[in-house]
Amino acid sequence: MANVLDLRRRIRSVKNTRQITKAMKMVAAARLRRAQEKALSSRPYAMMMTSVLQSLRRRVDAVDPETGQMHPLLVTRPEKNILLVVISGEGGFAGAFNANIVKAANTFIAGHKDAQVDIQAIGRKGRDVLRRRYPAAQFTDSARQEGRHRAAPVELLDDHHHGILHQLNFERASGLAHEITSLYAHEKIDAAYVVYNEFKSVIQQRVVVERVLPILEIGEREVALTQEMTQEERERAGEAAISSGVSLSEAEAEAGAKQAEEEARRFGTAEVDYIYEQDPGELFNALLPRYVATQLYHAMLESVAAEFAARMTAMDSATNNASELIDSLTLAMNRVRQAAITKELIEIVSGAAAL
Amino acid sequence: MANQLHVRLVTPDRVLVDSTADAIELPARNGYMEALFGHAPLLSELGAGEVRTHGGHAGEQRYFVSWGFVEVLPDRVTILAETALKPEEINATEAHQELERGEKLWSEAGDDAEKYEEANHVIEEAEAKLASASSRS
Repeated sequence: MANVLDLRRRIRSVKNTRQITKAMKMVAAARLRRAQEKALSSRPYAMMMTSVLQSLRRRVDAVDPETGQMHPLLVTRPEKNILLVVISGEGGFAGAFNANIVKAANTFIAGHKDAQVDIQAIGRKGRDVLRRRYPAAQFTDSARQEGRHRAAPVELLDDHHHGILHQLNFERASGLAHEITSLYAHEKIDAAYVVYNEFKSVIQQRVVVERVLPILEIGEREVALTQEMTQEERERAGEAAISSGVSLSEAEAEAGAKQAEEEARRFGTAEVDYIYEQDPGELFNALLPRYVATQLYHAMLESVAAEFAARMTAMDSATNNASELIDSLTLAMNRVRQAAITKELIEIVSGAAAL
Repeated sequence: MANQLHVRLVTPDRVLVDSTADAIELPARNGYMEALFGHAPLLSELGAGEVRTHGGHAGEQRYFVSWGFVEVLPDRVTILAETALKPEEINATEAHQELERGEKLWSEAGDDAEKYEEANHVIEEAEAKLASASSRS
């Protein structure tokens, strides 16, 4: 049986761990709140972009009158080469967050056996796992990604978007979107999908695979695969949110944003004849790549928020487990101490009786 | 107050301006234009340049916009901008570097029309940024 000193040492170590997990939980909760705000404040822009594109789409033919061709981002082709953007987390300690993303990506790849899939991994954790599983793409001219030498049906693209999620801004997201749209326009890929963790609220999250290219219907999200949270996970997340003071519903934050959103929805859709400063077709062409960028930016914002929510939940569980462990260890320690005292007493008493 | 424009400047990160103004200057793709109350409905793409508001609650304000999109309605102007900065937020050294990068791209572009366009874009943006920063009063 362990002695009191050993148990005391264990308790101290578990207490230290609990302190760390508790701090991590609080940090995650604070950053979650900031991420949520950021996601919310990006909405008006996205809404306006969508509504103006929708109204332009109604007025303007996407077909170029001179060449009779559709805009390159609207053309559908048989999906032979697919680009899969996997948005995972930058750090661990977030429960099954990263594992779920990778699992969804693998399921998607397994479902597209006859296609060649390129993976663009955003986020360190997913990249590390995927790198072990799939070979890296080989280019003879790696700087310009030319001279492709394909060895396997599924390859991981070289990642030069390190830390994009740490300092997430629209500029970097649109840089990524620019790469993807130009790949698509040059027919290097026939479709682009994003795997990410959708974040509605702390208790409403799911892993989705969404198609971003080709754009079939503006404003409609095309979800190819989803994975909802289980009831148990949801309850856990709810408890964690309450104990760290994060509001569960978006209700409060939403109220203010609602009106702005309503207005945003009307943007560019008034039933009047607009003067078009440029050719409407030209406007359309300028807006479409930006639309892809907003979609990607949105996906990343949500993924970041979801990551913090997952970390908060995981760290809350860890803190609770540590507390339980401390309780049971304390109990064991007291028992051991009492047993020692009793034993000593018996020795004294029986010693005295023997005299 | 009547006869004032409701101006909103929205970027992907935040809503920068939500106010009223008498007039607003916009850097449209084909040159600057000014919108007053009662302007005919108009949609336009914005190039790199400055958005300026005059009068109203917004007062005299200037924002550097790199790329954007504007909807003008008789009583309302809404600007969607990819990035919008106040002149004092512009980092002049960074803009200089950008300009150099653009010039390098331009000289390396060769026969590729697309690269030319991209290089021109970078140069245009950097120049507008510098102009905006130097005209700070």
